[in-house]
Amino acid sequence: MTDRVGAVLMLSAMLVLASTPSAAETYRWVDEQGNVNYSDRPPQPREIRTPTQEAKPALDPRTPDSKAQEVKAPEVKAPAPKMPEVKAPKVAEATTPDLKPLDVTRPELKTQPESKGNDAHSPPRARDAKATIPPHPLPKSGPTKIDELLELSGARAQLVGLVARVAADLRPAPGQMSAAEMATIDRILAQSLRHETVYGAVRDAFLPQVDRLSLETTAAWLRTPVGHKIIALEIASSQPGAEQKVAEYTAVVKANPPSARRLELLQRLDWVTGANETSADLVAAIARGLSTAVSAAGPPESRLRPGQIEDRAAQVRARANETLREVRTMSMLYTYQTLEDDELSEYVRFSGTDAGRWYNRAMRKALVGSIGKAVEQTVTELVRAVPLDRWARAAMPAPQPVK
Amino acid sequence: MTIRISRAIAAAIVLTLCVAVAESAPERSAQPAGDLDRAQAAFEAGRYTEALSLARRAANTAPTSVRALTGQAGMAEFMGEFDEARTFYDRAAALAPDDAELIARTASFSVRVGEYDRALAQLDRLLALHPSHVRWLFQWAPTYMQPALLRDHPSLEQIVQVKLDILTEKGDLAHARQLARSYAIVKPGENYCGEAQAKSRAGAERDETFKAFRLATLGQPEAADCIWWYGQWLSDEGYVRLGRLMVIEGTRVTPSATNKESGARYLKIRLGGNREVPKRAEQLFLIARQRYLRDGDIDGATKLFDESIRLAPAFARPYNYRAAIAADLGDREAALAWLQRAAQADPDSWRTHRNLGKLLADLERYPEAEMHLRKTVQLFGDDAGGRLALARVLYAQGKYDDFVREAKAAVAFLANWNAPVPAVRDFLAKFDRWGPGVSLPPAPDPRIIIGWNYD
Repeated sequence: MTDRVGAVLMLSAMLVLASTPSAAETYRWVDEQGNVNYSDRPPQPREIRTPTQEAKPALDPRTPDSKAQEVKAPEVKAPAPKMPEVKAPKVAEATTPDLKPLDVTRPELKTQPESKGNDAHSPPRARDAKATIPPHPLPKSGPTKIDELLELSGARAQLVGLVARVAADLRPAPGQMSAAEMATIDRILAQSLRHETVYGAVRDAFLPQVDRLSLETTAAWLRTPVGHKIIALEIASSQPGAEQKVAEYTAVVKANPPSARRLELLQRLDWVTGANETSADLVAAIARGLSTAVSAAGPPESRLRPGQIEDRAAQVRARANETLREVRTMSMLYTYQTLEDDELSEYVRFSGTDAGRWYNRAMRKALVGSIGKAVEQTVTELVRAVPLDRWARAAMPAPQPVK
Repeated sequence: MTIRISRAIAAAIVLTLCVAVAESAPERSAQPAGDLDRAQAAFEAGRYTEALSLARRAANTAPTSVRALTGQAGMAEFMGEFDEARTFYDRAAALAPDDAELIARTASFSVRVGEYDRALAQLDRLLALHPSHVRWLFQWAPTYMQPALLRDHPSLEQIVQVKLDILTEKGDLAHARQLARSYAIVKPGENYCGEAQAKSRAGAERDETFKAFRLATLGQPEAADCIWWYGQWLSDEGYVRLGRLMVIEGTRVTPSATNKESGARYLKIRLGGNREVPKRAEQLFLIARQRYLRDGDIDGATKLFDESIRLAPAFARPYNYRAAIAADLGDREAALAWLQRAAQADPDSWRTHRNLGKLLADLERYPEAEMHLRKTVQLFGDDAGGRLALARVLYAQGKYDDFVREAKAAVAFLANWNAPVPAVRDFLAKFDRWGPGVSLPPAPDPRIIIGWNYD
């Protein structure tokens, strides 16, 4: 192994060793232009129009944050992902790797009237389901803006936690870099992984996929009480520190196992929203961005070819899919624990409609592409500012005393 | 929709990165003095471009050194720089016209680029270097004496082997077999085919197995299975010319009507049917593929693929690799254009339609993707991976009944090959239970048809 490779290995090791993200608060405020902002830092004085800072988004009283549920539980550990054993071919085939997401043309406006009465409690085949009018749409005049939809859906707020998590994973552990280097790294992370910047990219990527009818149908459903309640729960469980709470919640679940219907509903929710697949795609996008940036920073002879990067991303995705599958059900049980089955059924029903499927598909594409690009750009700047070999030296373990 | 990524996954990412970077890095080695020695060291370390560069410098520094000139010629040949190789072999030969090893290498090079008459002339010259009694024995002694003669004079063995290659490549299999028998390369009554199959089953070294099937082809003209196997191996390796001849021979010899039909289809969809590929184009393609896949030398590979296409415009494989390179570089439109050119060059190329269908699916151009993937499975019904890709495209278009039919057919086929696809089964079960979800079905590509993935 060459020193240069060692440097990259140590950089990777540092990333593994990165400190756990602090339990950052999420701030929400309205700026002078009337835009709603989310951030993991307090709003600056001139950014605030009205003093509406909230430590956290308003939650239903029965959110998973309830103290009564903070039972110490054994840590949930995902089993080590197993790599499928693949017989290496003598030469690679001429396959076409997955490439960067494309902008797509706007889908045709659906004109078919939506049927009613698809009973969410007995949905034998959701393929027959059509979008129905939400049960209690809140009054809304005029077209819904993209920003409004992304706020209603919680995507904007959830992005805060996601971006903070990525930034925390990229940050070296304390003591591994000099103060000056840490300052540089923190500056880059703060600039490149700003929530507002990433959110803007997600919104821009979402825009070309907009189907007006689906958008309005989705927005109307999200304005319903049940929609609002569900989104609040999802935002709450996306906050830093939620993983620990999920782990603790395992003990609760062991003591009070969920009903078969509950499990069925959650599995079906995952199916109709593609949540697990989206998470796996995100992990693959991050891996791709990271690989591309680190590889490009290395010497020419050690660079990965784009095809190799794609292969690695695909392998990471497969492993992530398996790992996420293990923890997914528990995570969903935790997130939606305060929902009644009927409310969950309503969520499943809506998610299975044309509008629900459109939203999830469009958001997935926008999110995956934007996060991947953000990671690539950030890591490119990081290794430009602090060379790979410096990351390597900083990550060297301290000498152990000889006995 | 909730968004989750766990720290465990972040760890998985960086660990994968570690492996990726480590695998891609060349090993350092001590640098010996002298450009030629350093070229050799670079070659052995897998740094081929550097090796060629050093060999050139060595030859430039010592233009009268046969070793240096031959070194540059050999490296150039290895890298597909055939004109340069020819020039420096000729220069070396001018300096050492009676160097047996050099003549043998030059003859081998001539065969590589399809200059058979020139190769034969060089073999005659090589033979002429031997004492007259050896030449007499080589030409007139009975078969039982030849093994000892060839053992004592390895260059004679080289002459026989190169001649066998020439005759086989020219399609004169009868003459090749006669020559092999007359020099006791093969002997009557031996079960070469059985030995080759045993070696294959035992997982013997690749070259050893390859040679065993070659012997079976020469020694047992009736062994259709082995001849067919040899042809398919050659196809996998990219030797499409000889592969085609062997498949034709195996198809001719087999008594099975089904196998005859299968052989004809194989020729059509995998070997370009009757489209002729000049030897030089084939060899350039082979080397280009190595430079691309093994070395990651995109510029060098591109140049050779382009030259191969220029020499053999109807040869679909290099177009497909040009498309792969374009896709690697992130230019999917260029990749699409290369594949469309490939389809024009050879409309029956199964691999081209498969790649086209998959790329168009990535581009979310589903109706076009469906057309090409339907053509893929029409050309090769056993392509379960292609059928799963088709199923995915059908699903993306909301053609759920068609999706179920194709996916189930692929799953059933793969089950017979002991290649379960649990992700597809799971998806089908959920679909049957809950209807369509937001995610597209998985389309794994199980490699059950050995070799076909190398086109």
